[in-house]
Amino acid sequence: MSAQQAKQEEPKPIKLEDILQSDVWNVDEEPHIVVDYSKCEKCPTKPCIYLCPAGCYTLAGDRVVFSYEGCVECGTCRVICPMDAIAWNYPKNGHGIIYRFT
Amino acid sequence: MQSRLKAVLSALASIPSKFDAIVVGAGPAGSAAAYTLAKEGFKTLLIDRGRGGGEKELFGGRVYAQPLRDIWPELDKEAPIQRWVTRERISFVKDNEAVTVEFKSPKGKSFTALLPQLTSWMARKAEQAGALYVNEVTVDEIIFKDGRAVGVRSGSDTVEADVIIDAEGVNRLLLERAGLVERIKPDNVALGVKEILRTGSTQLEASFGIDSDEGAAWVAIGDITKGVPGGGFIYTNKDTVSMGIVLHLKHAIDAIEAGKLNQHVSELVEGFRLHPYFRRLWRDATISEYGAHLTIEGGLKFSPKRLAYPGLLVVGDAAGLLLTTGINYRGVDFAAYSGKLAAEAIKYAMDHGGFTYDNLRVYDAYIRGSFVYTELQRHLGVEMVMNDPAIFAKLPNIAIGLFKELYEQDYATPTPFEALTSVLSNEGLDLFKLLSLSLSTVMSL
Repeated sequence: MSAQQAKQEEPKPIKLEDILQSDVWNVDEEPHIVVDYSKCEKCPTKPCIYLCPAGCYTLAGDRVVFSYEGCVECGTCRVICPMDAIAWNYPKNGHGIIYRFT
Repeated sequence: MQSRLKAVLSALASIPSKFDAIVVGAGPAGSAAAYTLAKEGFKTLLIDRGRGGGEKELFGGRVYAQPLRDIWPELDKEAPIQRWVTRERISFVKDNEAVTVEFKSPKGKSFTALLPQLTSWMARKAEQAGALYVNEVTVDEIIFKDGRAVGVRSGSDTVEADVIIDAEGVNRLLLERAGLVERIKPDNVALGVKEILRTGSTQLEASFGIDSDEGAAWVAIGDITKGVPGGGFIYTNKDTVSMGIVLHLKHAIDAIEAGKLNQHVSELVEGFRLHPYFRRLWRDATISEYGAHLTIEGGLKFSPKRLAYPGLLVVGDAAGLLLTTGINYRGVDFAAYSGKLAAEAIKYAMDHGGFTYDNLRVYDAYIRGSFVYTELQRHLGVEMVMNDPAIFAKLPNIAIGLFKELYEQDYATPTPFEALTSVLSNEGLDLFKLLSLSLSTVMSL
């Protein structure tokens, strides 16, 4: 086996945004989650940045930025938010993630 | 405005002006309840917010069959079963070292499945039995009148029934809005993150060392979750692998605050997927899907105080009826069985003069008299032990340390006793401490 072949077999990391390309959504125009950013400013730990599995919560500088479109509807953010900053609803009538194989 | 519920109902030629029962959520619990009710002749409405194909369903990957056969005796022949599990494996993992134990069982007691497929089958069963199955409808509220549940609301639409069954799942917003449960605490749930890896059946059978009529279930415990109680899971489907991690949320938050967890949770899943010991199982696979779901820890602690209320019965995850031992996860069969019991309680009420609370609350007694409750109660201690970070961290160290002592040799070969005492002293334990740790573990089981 050549060195090049061996190198090809080494599995590579895949970015979360690329992994999420495998998912399907029926995105609603209205968000089903609303974040009160004024509370995020006072949050010392921001566990949502690490624990939202879909990476919906990101940091821009030290500010939390949220986008609902890629949400997988697990409900983690609502449970872990230490500031009670998240209003979480089920997406309306057939909207949101469309799981097929899980 | 949500007007879909009324639009669907008014499009039907003959709908009852009022239903006997409305079931909210077409997961395993809701579909089992609707199926059992419809079979008994109750006018049943089954409502789901997905589009009819189980789109909101995600679980680890394995289902225990026997309780489901009590509901659907045709399960083995008809249900969309992926593989019967004949190999149970558990690995203790630390860095690139691993100890794996395999139990080869001659006969499958459990099977792997894709939950959207399995719950679609269950909902279809309810529909065939005569339930009206309406999808793409999100219920916003359970309507109460004089302290009794009388219907549900979706947007501006309402529909009424004698009894409501809440099968909305773990996030249970409707119960919270009704003031029947408190906000979910991180102490009582774990986050499961899952990937579906497409390998093809030939490669899958070769890499897992299984025959075409076999399946594997595999749990990995150790630094895969960076010391946070939880673990990795692997289940073989026909030509895909379900894999991912479970992370106890309270301990995950603690680890973030202590600076011990500074990676995104998807990177932990990736670390597992790329782990040198495990990656050969899905070499060259493509990712077909990625998702996440909360799973209940310490089931009965998550349960509402009662499962029966005037006009309302709570089933499945919303009722906290899921068993975790750290090695086994039993949600689907527990949920479905609770749905069957709720339906039987409604039948009891009808046979005993009507849907009064005094009659309906036989459901609480049915649950307490069933394996669902006794199993959850019996395992409360196990969950406490497996969720103790100190014990959790020691398990892989002891397992790997022992095998390292026994197998990694240059000149000297240790006796098993020497190997054990050496491992224990590395962990700050001696035989006496191990004994008392084991005893306290055993006593709590």
